[in-house]
Amino acid sequence: MSATLPGSASGPDRAPASTDEVERQLERTWRPDPGLLGWLRSVDHKSIGLRYVVTAFVFFLLGGIEAAVMRAQLARPEARILGPDAYNQFFTMHGTTMMFLFAVPVMDAMGIYLVPLMIGARNVAFPKLNAYGYWVYLFGGAFLYLMFFLNTGPDAGWFSYVPLAGLQFSPSKRVDVWAQTITFTEIAALVAAVEIIVTVFKNRAPGMTLHRMPLLVWAMLVQSFMVLFAMPWIATASQFLAMDRLVKTHFFTPATGGDVLLWQHLFWFFGHPEVYLILLPALGFVSAIVATFTRRPVYGYPAMVLSLIATAFLGFGLWVHHMFATGLPALGESFFTAASMMIAIPSGIQIFCWIATIWAGRPRFTVPLLFVIGFILVFVIGGLSGVMVASVPLDQVVHDTYFVVAHFHYVLIGGAVFPLFAAFYYWFPKVTGRMLGEPLGRWHFWLFFLGVNLTFFPMHQLGLDGMPRRVYTYLAETGWGDLNLLASGGAALIAVSVAIFLVNVAVSLRAGSLAGDDPWGADTLEWATSSPPPPYNFAVIPKVSSPYATWDEDDRATDPQRLERGDFVLETGHLTPGTTPVDGHMDEILAMPEESPWPVTLAFVATLGTAFVLANHLILAAAMAALAAAVLVAWHSAEPEAA
Amino acid sequence: MSPWWQAHSALHPNGAQLSLIIDRLWSPMFAAAAAIFALVAGALGWALLRRRAAAEAPDDPGRERGMRWTVSLATACTVAVLLVLLGLDISVSRATTAAPGRDALRVVVTGHQWWWEIRYGGVVTANEIHVPVGRTVVLELRSNDVIHSVWPISLSPKLDEIPGKNNSLSLRAERPGVFRGQCAEYCGHQHAKMAFLVVAEAPGSFERWLQGQRELAAPPADDLARHGQQVFLSSCAACHTVAGTPASGRAGPDLTHLAGRATIAAGTLANTRGNLAGWILDPQTIKPGAYMPPIPLAPADLHAVVAYLETLR
Amino acid sequence: MTMARGVALLAVAGVLLGCQDHAPARPVPGGDPSAGKQLLAERGCGSCHTIPGVSGANGLVGPPLDHFARRTYIAGEVINNADFLVRWIEVPQAIEPGTAMPNLGITEGQARSMAAYLYTLH
Repeated sequence: MSATLPGSASGPDRAPASTDEVERQLERTWRPDPGLLGWLRSVDHKSIGLRYVVTAFVFFLLGGIEAAVMRAQLARPEARILGPDAYNQFFTMHGTTMMFLFAVPVMDAMGIYLVPLMIGARNVAFPKLNAYGYWVYLFGGAFLYLMFFLNTGPDAGWFSYVPLAGLQFSPSKRVDVWAQTITFTEIAALVAAVEIIVTVFKNRAPGMTLHRMPLLVWAMLVQSFMVLFAMPWIATASQFLAMDRLVKTHFFTPATGGDVLLWQHLFWFFGHPEVYLILLPALGFVSAIVATFTRRPVYGYPAMVLSLIATAFLGFGLWVHHMFATGLPALGESFFTAASMMIAIPSGIQIFCWIATIWAGRPRFTVPLLFVIGFILVFVIGGLSGVMVASVPLDQVVHDTYFVVAHFHYVLIGGAVFPLFAAFYYWFPKVTGRMLGEPLGRWHFWLFFLGVNLTFFPMHQLGLDGMPRRVYTYLAETGWGDLNLLASGGAALIAVSVAIFLVNVAVSLRAGSLAGDDPWGADTLEWATSSPPPPYNFAVIPKVSSPYATWDEDDRATDPQRLERGDFVLETGHLTPGTTPVDGHMDEILAMPEESPWPVTLAFVATLGTAFVLANHLILAAAMAALAAAVLVAWHSAEPEAA
Repeated sequence: MSPWWQAHSALHPNGAQLSLIIDRLWSPMFAAAAAIFALVAGALGWALLRRRAAAEAPDDPGRERGMRWTVSLATACTVAVLLVLLGLDISVSRATTAAPGRDALRVVVTGHQWWWEIRYGGVVTANEIHVPVGRTVVLELRSNDVIHSVWPISLSPKLDEIPGKNNSLSLRAERPGVFRGQCAEYCGHQHAKMAFLVVAEAPGSFERWLQGQRELAAPPADDLARHGQQVFLSSCAACHTVAGTPASGRAGPDLTHLAGRATIAAGTLANTRGNLAGWILDPQTIKPGAYMPPIPLAPADLHAVVAYLETLR
Repeated sequence: MTMARGVALLAVAGVLLGCQDHAPARPVPGGDPSAGKQLLAERGCGSCHTIPGVSGANGLVGPPLDHFARRTYIAGEVINNADFLVRWIEVPQAIEPGTAMPNLGITEGQARSMAAYLYTLH
């Protein structure tokens, strides 16, 4: 895939051409093929990233609809909207959708779109693999929903505890569907992690040392390392479960020598880092937005980076706090209490640094900043209830009750969804070239903030009043009806606020005010190119000599001059510079592949193969495996020419 | 509407362990959380809204020093608060996991999908745990099938029943009363309707109850009850046990002393004639997915078996 | 929209939502509908009957009791009026010998209240 040019970075000797002609040539080289086939074959990170974000948001809406129906069912005691079988599928699908199909993928997708732009690259390191990651994710999620609509959706909870999820107590295909389709999301996440890590280490604009990387890029990099260490465990666990169910192994069956708790250890060793996979990129969004809308760099860059890294390491040492009610030895549990409390420290440091930044800067109350304010307030509440459940005795009171439901929705909605909406309002102009409407954005924010608090705050009380999780109904005599009705009312508000957002998007796509390159006056490189960016991102690879590249007027002034000179334009093919991992010195020119049909084909064949395995047509499944091998050969046979 | 239990809020504890947790852990943590949130919100509000001069020097070293000092102080305070909370947690944790002592009463609680089997030595009952006030009771937690969790909500924290693992949960009721508990680990279709009652009574009253539970079922005294026993033996004995009769089924709860219990179907319905009739005839409408099938009975048989069950005190 | 219009809409909504326990067209002397609603729940009537407004009353063993005020017969045996209904609730076997509906030991006063509630179901 790569080709090294000896000596100069400015391409083979040629007669100087006008900058217009150079840009036209870049456009011709990088422009995607038109039509549906072109779209299916695209390997452009922006095209993949955008559809990835949209797909993840569709899953968010589906998960939200599941939640809305659940809240309708729980609004009154003994309601009859959903019977127990349907409700159990709904809450399983809600958790699985939000955690596996929305929260991690949307963060990965934002990274795939933004990271190359922020580091001055033209694409991710492995564009075809990137496309494959998206298609695998889409097909896996679509397959799960197809099964759900066929009444074969999983119903053992998003964390699928054995023995309930074992063959004896869940004899139908539902749990098998779960175990197999989450594998698709794991593959997609691992692909995105590999892309981010290699792209960040190898494709930065020359001059961008690690210390000059934007905080969002750091957040994505740290998160990607976490993915590499966390995802294999859920893959292992789900495959063990699939094997116990399909070929009668005994990993988890105590009667035949297996261990029920083994599942919980394996799952939560992945499951706890999973929430930090979701949180870390969101913290990166917040840093980008706070800097722009306080008109100064985020205070304490080294502390911010170290906090991200500390959170990542600590995040792997907390998993047993999900098992405090299983009767593990008290001494061991205390270790996890200490770690679970300690992780509040790096998060706290980040919040203190942001508040300091706001204090020292000059805030502009745009909608992105409003959502960041909402993030701080909601996430801190979630963090405080988190310190409470970190304590073993207290957790043994509230574990598996609505108190915990309140806690994790506060940290997840506060820590991920608020920053995500902030990010949507912030980067929508860059992606589409138009601004989202501010008045509608304010309605969206206030209704969402009010709705989230109305829905989830009463749940703290409900849990302490005895309401357990995962119940399809409750008796009127429990007295839980009033707070549940209030929570359901809050959920309706959330739905209205999201509808307002969708209206805002639809209207702004057609009639929003034009954004220009840099409507906000921001400091990162994506704002130094047009909105939307051209297919090649930058006509000339930007020169970087400071951490706030777009605020560095000297560097940006040299870009047009370097474009004239043909310095780092690389217009003779799909070319992008390769740089050293730490110091960002250019050391090679990399040739990127063109569009390819093989990623989508391989993803489709893999999905078919899985469907055949689930349906027990093992010969057809083997045929799909052989076909996949053939597709892989074709994939690698069409490598880009040396430039 | 008056429920058949008295209390089920963890914030109004009736058990010794839970009182300790609420007083020495929950209350300080809640106060600390409220204070910290107010501080953070206040700091954020001040940072956003403070009056600013028209133009401030971007790199004022004095201001940078002040920011470093403030962030460091805030971090140090965070560490200090967390250490204090950790200390509280460890001390309460040690108090609540202290060994129960030799005079503790041991009760085996086995979770089934979706009811509770309760054993005091040779005495078997279901869905209702009687305990003497003021004496430590150790619940030996077992599972017949999947993971359940015993949560005596206002008496003690919860602990899971895990197949292949022997957990123990201590509780000591501080006052008499009827206290609701709930299964707290998703265990399938009817996890939502798997409750239990803890009846705390004076020690003498408890001993009388236990003695009564040891006795076999009294033989039916009149024709209606005798007819009912015949219906029971043909329609119910495959799954239920009534000690002293040929009925020895183990799939469902032991019914030897059913009439003395306050609820049926694991805390789902009050134990009244109307509910008993409806439950026997059509359990699937009340608790869909439960393993008890509908038992359609001719009206005369229905009245008889209900009358018989009402004699099982 | 204006304040006044908003208030009016809320008022209409409130009236429509509140239209559940209005005065019975057939009052039962000595019967209190809200006490009757509670008694229907407490005595377990819902385990066999589906009764609108009574939480958890979803039973299919006996006939549903929706629109009870408009039904012509009780148990297909007698005209649906207050006296027969109260008697039926107290001692079903007196109205229909051999009926599956058990005698729940309900006093006359309690039966009047339960009948009063049933007659709010139009």
